[in-house]
Amino acid sequence: MTDTVSSLDLSGTPRRRTFGDRLFKATAAGFAFLVLAILAAVILTLADGALPALREFGIGFVATEEWDPVLDEFGALAPIYGTLITSVIAMLVGIPVAFGIAVFITELCPTWLKRPIGVLIELLAAIPSIIYGIWGLFVLAPFLQRHVQPFLIDTVGTIPGIGALFRGPPLGIGIFTAGIILGIMVLPFIASITRDVFETVPPILKESAYGLGATTWEVVRSVVVPYTRVGIVGGVMLGLGRALGETMAVTFVVGNAHRIDTSLFAPGTTISAALANEFTEAVGDLYLSSLIALGFILFLITFAVLSLAKLMLLRLQQRAGT
Amino acid sequence: MNDMPRTAVARQDAPLVEPRAAPDLVPKIEIRRLRFFYKKFEALKNIDLTLYDKRVTAFIGPSGCGKSTLLRVLNRIYDLYPGQRAEGEVLLDGRNILEPGLDLNLLRAKVGMVFQKPTPFPMSIFDNVAFGIRLYEKLPASELADRVEQALRRAALWDEVKDKLRQSGLSLSGGQQQRLCIARAIAVKPSVLLLDEPASALDPISTQRIEELIAELKADYCIVIVTHNMQQAARSSDFTAFMYLGELIEFSDTETLFTHPREKRTEDYITGRFG
Repeated sequence: MTDTVSSLDLSGTPRRRTFGDRLFKATAAGFAFLVLAILAAVILTLADGALPALREFGIGFVATEEWDPVLDEFGALAPIYGTLITSVIAMLVGIPVAFGIAVFITELCPTWLKRPIGVLIELLAAIPSIIYGIWGLFVLAPFLQRHVQPFLIDTVGTIPGIGALFRGPPLGIGIFTAGIILGIMVLPFIASITRDVFETVPPILKESAYGLGATTWEVVRSVVVPYTRVGIVGGVMLGLGRALGETMAVTFVVGNAHRIDTSLFAPGTTISAALANEFTEAVGDLYLSSLIALGFILFLITFAVLSLAKLMLLRLQQRAGT
Repeated sequence: MNDMPRTAVARQDAPLVEPRAAPDLVPKIEIRRLRFFYKKFEALKNIDLTLYDKRVTAFIGPSGCGKSTLLRVLNRIYDLYPGQRAEGEVLLDGRNILEPGLDLNLLRAKVGMVFQKPTPFPMSIFDNVAFGIRLYEKLPASELADRVEQALRRAALWDEVKDKLRQSGLSLSGGQQQRLCIARAIAVKPSVLLLDEPASALDPISTQRIEELIAELKADYCIVIVTHNMQQAARSSDFTAFMYLGELIEFSDTETLFTHPREKRTEDYITGRFG
C-alpha cells in the first residue's frame, strides 16, 4: 500500500462492471445491430421477390419501356425515368427557393419576423402528402394547365433542342406538375436545415467579411455557404430522398402512364406511384414480381444517391483541406 | 519625462490639446460627442477623442467599459445588428461616417478590422487575402498575385506560407491565422486598422510577432487597438485611452498615462487595484 490512490482505483474497478452496465451495453449494441438486420432483411425480401421478374426479363427489365399486364411483359424504364426526372424538377424548384428563404431568415429579415416565418415553413412539412395530392390535382394542375404550360409552350417550347421538353398539349397533370408538387414538398426540409446550418456560422466570421466591405450576397456566397456546405448538402439529400420516395401526392398528379415522352407536360409515372396504383390489381405472379423489382430498384437508387452524396462531401472536404 | 507638460488629455468637455505637438501629428479620426446605445442602454457616454494618423492608439479599461463598442463604431460594423445606434459625430478625414446614406462597404474597405479570434474564411490562403481585393478591383491574375504577396509580406507571413498558398487558411496555426487576417485586412489598402484584442487568443510568441507587426504597420496606418493587456498597450501604443463604464476617463500619450496618470481611477486600473 505504497500508493493509496492507485490501489483505491484498482479496488474500485471490478465493482463498476455491474450486471446493469453489461445489460445496457448489450441492449444498445443489440438495437444498433437490429437496424442492420432489418436493412438486410428488406434487401433480401425485395431481391427474392424480384427474382422471377429479373430472371424472365433479364437486364431488359430496366431498359424497356413496355409495361403490359395483359401480355405479361414488363419493363421498368418509364417509372425509373419518371422518378428521376420528377426529382430533378423538384430539386430545381426547391433548392433555389429554400436557399432564398434561408438567406432571408438568417441575414435580411427583421428579428420579429424570423420566428413566424420559420414556424410557417416548418408547418409546410407537417401537411400530409395526401393533402398535397388533392391540392395538386384540383388547384395546381388546372392552374398550370391554364396559365403556366401554355406560356411555356409558346416561349421556351419554340427553342430548338431544349424546347422539346416543353411541347405537346397542356394537360395539367404529368411529369412537370408532379415535379413542381415535389419541389414544394421538399422545400421546408431543405429550407429549415439550410437555415439551421446558416445560423451556426460564427458572427465574428461574418463580421470579418462585412468588415472588408463585402455585401450581404458576397458574405453569403463566399463565407456562409462554404462554411456550411456539408450541412447544405445534407439538407438537399434529405429533400432528394423524400422526393424520390414520395408516393401519394405524385400518384395524384403524375398521370400514371407507363411511357416516356420527351415533353415534360406528358403524363408519366414514378416507381412509387406505380407501386401504389398497381399492387392491388397485380394478379399474375410475374406482375407482382415486377412490382417488387421496381421497389428493389427504388431502394438501389436511393442508396446510390445517398452514397454519392457522402462521396461528394468527402471530396469537398478534401479540397477545402479541413 | 517627468517635467513634460501633461496636456495630452481629451476628456469630455475638456478642450483637446495635441500631445507632444509633433509636426507630423495628423488627426485621422475625430470623435465628437459620441453616444452609443444598445436599445435603451447607453454604452458610450459623450466621447470626444482624436485618433492620429501613423500612430497606434490603445483603448484600455475593464470588461464592459465600452472600448470594443467604440472600436465597432469606427467601421460601423454595429450596423449589422438591429437596436444598436450611435449619436454624435465621427469624422474620418473630415467626413462624418455616422451620417445616413454613407456607403458602408466603402467605409469598411477604408477601415480594416481584425478580431479577437482569428477568422480565416473557409477557403485557401491565397483566396483569403484576395477576397477583399476582388470585391473592389478587377485585377489581372499576375497583379492580384502581387498584391496578395505584398500583403502577406507586410503581415510577416509570406515566408511561412509561400509554398502552400493553395492550402486552406484553416490549416495554419492560430498565430499564423491571425497574421493572415491582418494580411487580408491590409490587402484592400485601408487607411485605418482596427484591432480588437488581436492577440488575446494567442501564445506569447505569436503575441510578440503581432506586436512587432503593429510597430511596423504604424508607418502607414492609423492603428487602433483594444487590449486587456496593459503591458501590450504600454509596449505597442503611442497614445492610450482609458475607459470606464462607457466614459472616456483619460487620454494621453502612452508614456504619460502609464507613468503619471492624471485620474485616480486610471492609476488604480493600471496598477491593478481594480478592474
